[in-house]
Amino acid sequence: MKNQYLSILFVILVLAGSVFMSGCTSSGEESVASGQTLVLGEMWDIDGIDPAVEGTVIGEKAAVTETLVGANSDFSLKPELAESWEQTDDYTWVFTLRQGVKFHDGSTMTAEDVKFSLERTIAENTRVESMLKIDSINVIGDHTLEITTTDLNPILAGILHYPDLGIISASSFNENGEFVKPIGTGPYVFESYDEQTRVLTVVKNDEWWGGEVGLEKMILKGMPDPNTRAMAIENGELDFTVDVPYSETDHIDSIEGIIVEKYSTPRVYKMDTNLQNEALADVRVRQAISYAINRDDIVEHVLYNVGEPAAGPFLPVMAWTNKDLKPYDQDLEKAKELLTEAGWVDTDGDGIRDKDGEALEFELLTYSARPGLPPMAEAIAAQLKDVGISVSPQVLEWGAISDKQKNGDWELLLAAYNIAMVPDPEYVLSNWYTTTGPDNGPGYSNPEVDALVEEARTIKDLDLRYQKFNEVEAIVYEEQPMILVAYYGCAIVKKDSVKGYVFDPTAHDYRINAAMYMEE
Amino acid sequence: MYRYIFKRIVFMVITVFAVFALTFFLMNVIPGGTSEMILKHTFIGLEESATDEQLAQVSERYNLNDPLYLQFFEWIRGGLLEGDLGTSFVYHKPVLHLLMLRLPATIVLAFSSMLIASIAGVSLGVYAALRENRFADHLLRILTLFGVSMPGFWVGLLLILIFSVYLKLVPVAGYGSIWNLILPAIALSIHSLASIMRVTRTSMLETLGEDYIKFATAKGLPVSKIISRHALKNSLLPVVTVLGFQMGAMLGGSVVIEKVFAWPGIGSLLVDSIFARDLPVVQACIIVIVLLFLVVNFIVDLVYIYLDPRIRYG
Repeated sequence: MKNQYLSILFVILVLAGSVFMSGCTSSGEESVASGQTLVLGEMWDIDGIDPAVEGTVIGEKAAVTETLVGANSDFSLKPELAESWEQTDDYTWVFTLRQGVKFHDGSTMTAEDVKFSLERTIAENTRVESMLKIDSINVIGDHTLEITTTDLNPILAGILHYPDLGIISASSFNENGEFVKPIGTGPYVFESYDEQTRVLTVVKNDEWWGGEVGLEKMILKGMPDPNTRAMAIENGELDFTVDVPYSETDHIDSIEGIIVEKYSTPRVYKMDTNLQNEALADVRVRQAISYAINRDDIVEHVLYNVGEPAAGPFLPVMAWTNKDLKPYDQDLEKAKELLTEAGWVDTDGDGIRDKDGEALEFELLTYSARPGLPPMAEAIAAQLKDVGISVSPQVLEWGAISDKQKNGDWELLLAAYNIAMVPDPEYVLSNWYTTTGPDNGPGYSNPEVDALVEEARTIKDLDLRYQKFNEVEAIVYEEQPMILVAYYGCAIVKKDSVKGYVFDPTAHDYRINAAMYMEE
Repeated sequence: MYRYIFKRIVFMVITVFAVFALTFFLMNVIPGGTSEMILKHTFIGLEESATDEQLAQVSERYNLNDPLYLQFFEWIRGGLLEGDLGTSFVYHKPVLHLLMLRLPATIVLAFSSMLIASIAGVSLGVYAALRENRFADHLLRILTLFGVSMPGFWVGLLLILIFSVYLKLVPVAGYGSIWNLILPAIALSIHSLASIMRVTRTSMLETLGEDYIKFATAKGLPVSKIISRHALKNSLLPVVTVLGFQMGAMLGGSVVIEKVFAWPGIGSLLVDSIFARDLPVVQACIIVIVLLFLVVNFIVDLVYIYLDPRIRYG
């Protein structure tokens, strides 16, 4: 019996020891933040600190790196590390860099550094490589670069706004060429990253070229669960976080000392229609679906107002958006009329329209990685039933959806696409709506659209260029190969004491701005 | 006995190999191309399409163009024979490094939960048996029902709400101090605790009905002695079996708990890697979890011998 007690005691001691050891591995950052230290609950795990692949965290959220080109809140481009740029011929661009910008190690940023940095990201990141289509980067002077492209690429400057293309110094690497830490030019300087707890800490850059920086320090913690983020800010462990559960935003906003602000982000909930499907190939059926959807109700009851009804693919604040387009208002009578006109009538009285013995029914695919989608699919199904269309929502893993898409074995697909991967309309309109566009899931083909996009992409005058793209928007608005439902929303949750925050719609989720500070 | 241990180890190696093969081939038949999923989970948003050129580059970089059997033998050669678990497609880091970062957190969490579940489960089970059909017994039975049926993440959120948000006793999430461990360990233990308690209660009641217990009672031994000296050890046999299985449930359940509490363990690494088709990491995580499970079950079998000397393995 004595032995038994001894062994139990031993097990307890070993476990207590292991728990204690787990405490020892911490970076010791748990101490309560004070003064100008902002503790931020990030919505994704912070998996790394290499700006070439983790640009959104390092550039937009930790503000350590900056890109050559910036963007205004209407998505028009503005100078950042490049003071100006000019397209000298179809394939050549000249960038003039800002003078006197210093890296966090104190060295001055030169054209050599920029060339090195861009070339490295291109080598590491397949995505930006295929977007940029760069042939060569040549250093012309200390602060002048010439970039040549393999293809005509009028949106090159816009792509350089992509956060993975943040400029870092060569001293970010050790003598073996291995990446050590990001040494950028931004308002915050990288201090530490705990690989185990994945907590990232940055401190103020007193030498920032852009002027005064508000906070002394920021501690970024990855908290992938929205409920956890909500409770952590309620508990006072966080000062700033985003995307708490949509249904909780009003409750959290009502808590004293916490504010919830809702914004539209460059992502749109859209429903692709498979044009190979006989019923969906009829434009009247697609329009009827669009008229049957009550977008206001979806925004209010599914997204809890974290979002906005969508008209065209682009947000109303974007400089190039066709402002004449308004979201399709729900009009059940019109929807019914269009369906009847297309030959779909409820002959057997079961509430579902039919034609030649075939019922008007579709499967609506979606996935659960974005929490608004499954309930949105349910709401759409319920709304379409009112006009005699039977829709059965299916929530699948994205891989399964991809396979179904490839096999053509689908009818409707609800997803949330990025609309400003590049701040320019060409990228989205040509990817989505041209016959050969890689994101043209429906298989839409309209020679007029193809010609307009082709024509617009060569026009350098922005007003003229946008005018052509507006025409494209107007055509696809009528044709509805993709039924746009709502713009994606982002709920910013912060303590009252956090001041100076300005939402940047060009960021992927949110961007931390240098003017933010904490009121004592 | 030694022959038995040797035999078990051989079977463990075979099991690990079988799991290795099964995981590899299953990962390759689930929908969605590997290169496409890697791209979608690293460089692009989930929905945005990948161009053929990008897909070709990724396939080239990770040797995904080789026939499946060649890829498999490459895994075996590197993973099992040379101890090189490969490099993560997504994190671009050696898999062993990722495992070393995440494994301690999961082991600490799983064993702490096991400790809570076994101590509290056995104690409450014995208590319920002694109070059979009285109020305490009924109450505990209702509570066990809740414990078994409540999903882990919900228990976790409830605990955060009560102990962090309202009572402000412990932090909501994080890793590094014993205060961070308390809630996830309790949340993870609830299910096992309830199962262990139920089994202990039933087994204890059976033992208490045995003749030798009646004899001991007739002899006038105090209840505490009857329980600790005679009944407990004999009624623990089925409990130990449950403990072995519960270890598997713990490792599975930790996936959700780790996400809720931002606990940097192997469970969340595994789930993220499955969605990203990060094969080397998926393989390694599964092997580690299977090994842990096998080792715990092996230990459980050895404990049997201690508890019941009539059991002899040949």
